[in-house]
Amino acid sequence: MISRASAVVALLVLWQLASLWGLPDYILSPVEILKHFVAALGTRELYTDIGASLGRALPGFAIGAALGIALGLAAGVSRALDGALSPVIFLTYPVPKIVMLPIFMLWFGIGDLSKVLIIALACFYPVFINAYYGARSTQKILVWSALNMGAGQGEIFRRVVVPSAAPQIFAGLRVSLALSFIVMFAAEMINARSGLGQLIRVAENSLRFDLMYVSLVTIAILGYAGDSLLRYARHRALAWQGEPA
Amino acid sequence: MSRLLPLAIVLPALIAWELAARSGLWSPLIFPSLVKIFNELVSFFSKSEYLMEAWVSLYRALGGFGLAAAAGVTLGMVMGRSRWAGALLDPLFSGTYAVPKLALFPIFIFVFGIGSLSKVALVFLECLYPIVIVTSQGARGVNRVLLWSAQNMGASAAATLRRVVVPAAAPFIFAGLRVALPIALIVVIITEMVSSADGLGYLVIYSLSSLKTDRMLAVVVVIAAMGWALDKGLVMLRNRLVYWEKLETYYV
Repeated sequence: MISRASAVVALLVLWQLASLWGLPDYILSPVEILKHFVAALGTRELYTDIGASLGRALPGFAIGAALGIALGLAAGVSRALDGALSPVIFLTYPVPKIVMLPIFMLWFGIGDLSKVLIIALACFYPVFINAYYGARSTQKILVWSALNMGAGQGEIFRRVVVPSAAPQIFAGLRVSLALSFIVMFAAEMINARSGLGQLIRVAENSLRFDLMYVSLVTIAILGYAGDSLLRYARHRALAWQGEPA
Repeated sequence: MSRLLPLAIVLPALIAWELAARSGLWSPLIFPSLVKIFNELVSFFSKSEYLMEAWVSLYRALGGFGLAAAAGVTLGMVMGRSRWAGALLDPLFSGTYAVPKLALFPIFIFVFGIGSLSKVALVFLECLYPIVIVTSQGARGVNRVLLWSAQNMGASAAATLRRVVVPAAAPFIFAGLRVALPIALIVVIITEMVSSADGLGYLVIYSLSSLKTDRMLAVVVVIAAMGWALDKGLVMLRNRLVYWEKLETYYV
């Protein structure tokens, strides 16, 4: 464990040493950042911002992931849906979805709804594509065996296609969760009255470097915690499948 | 026939848009008609100052992406082939992978200034992760039999790297690059939206705040086309260089 973190620790120590030698105002030393962060943990404002940010990122992620899994699996097993939907999705896949934010602000207002929907849109794509390829790469022999043993369409979908697509779906969810935090942060930096992205903008404009780092550390911890939770869920749900490479 | 199937989704959507625009139920600000958007698109390509903004965004995206590709492939190769470099750097990259690097942007502004450099630096950082992670996976997974055979036939370390490891890792390298390229464009657009005086991201926000939503949507179309064309170009390059393995994707 210690050896695994050695590069990170070495970097922090170097950073701290550099601060003894003198750093510009806008780069605080790790110890100072920790001090400000602990102080901020004692205030109510930080929790309000965390709540506002998570209140946008998580519903957006949930909506995008649910739609992505449902439509991705459906397009993976249904030829008609595949022909109609997949080309549209693949064509728009490399398009940066954040450019839709201003349009969503027009349609759904500048409140939380437009932000939740833009996050959902961004999260939809990786999950859709992974669920789609996961469903399509189901081994034919498994489907034939199930058919042979008298399984119905619904049962094959539930007990063969979904489990064999599950590892890929989790891979897509992992990308999307990280993306939901990025888009949430971007949307809040562009336009919001609350949240961590807005906190960092306010801090930047008023040269409150301590608050900038508090926001940064908070979003880093949230991102890391979300990813770890998802990996734990994957570990629990796919115990039969072994660890990913 | 099956190639026309997507039109079953696209055409009704476009028609519904145009009907919504003409119905008068919504302000033309919310649903500008397709004709007006198209006109704005034409004027986009006839005005040199707009093309200049597109160029600014493009070189920021490609600059950061190019630097990340050079550094990321090198770093990924070293991490994949050298055990101690992997043990040292793997935790650093996987530990900070899920952290939105975008949050560093305000600090980057102070360090690198408000111009292109802070944006290129952020693009570099965001693109570095997928490239390093996927490249090191590819370099680590080189078939050992191939390495042994090369050694057995007297290949030097450099020749082995060039003739065995790099070709074996090439599909992975391109997979990483393909994840990173849209990220480059996303980061450029976001950073230009947040703080800038130039670039397509700025043009989107500027058009919106001057209530020219038809122009804004035209710029969105340009950005979308740019993302699509960059991806297509990368896939073409990949299929030229990695000619022995066809890419399994839908629309190539």
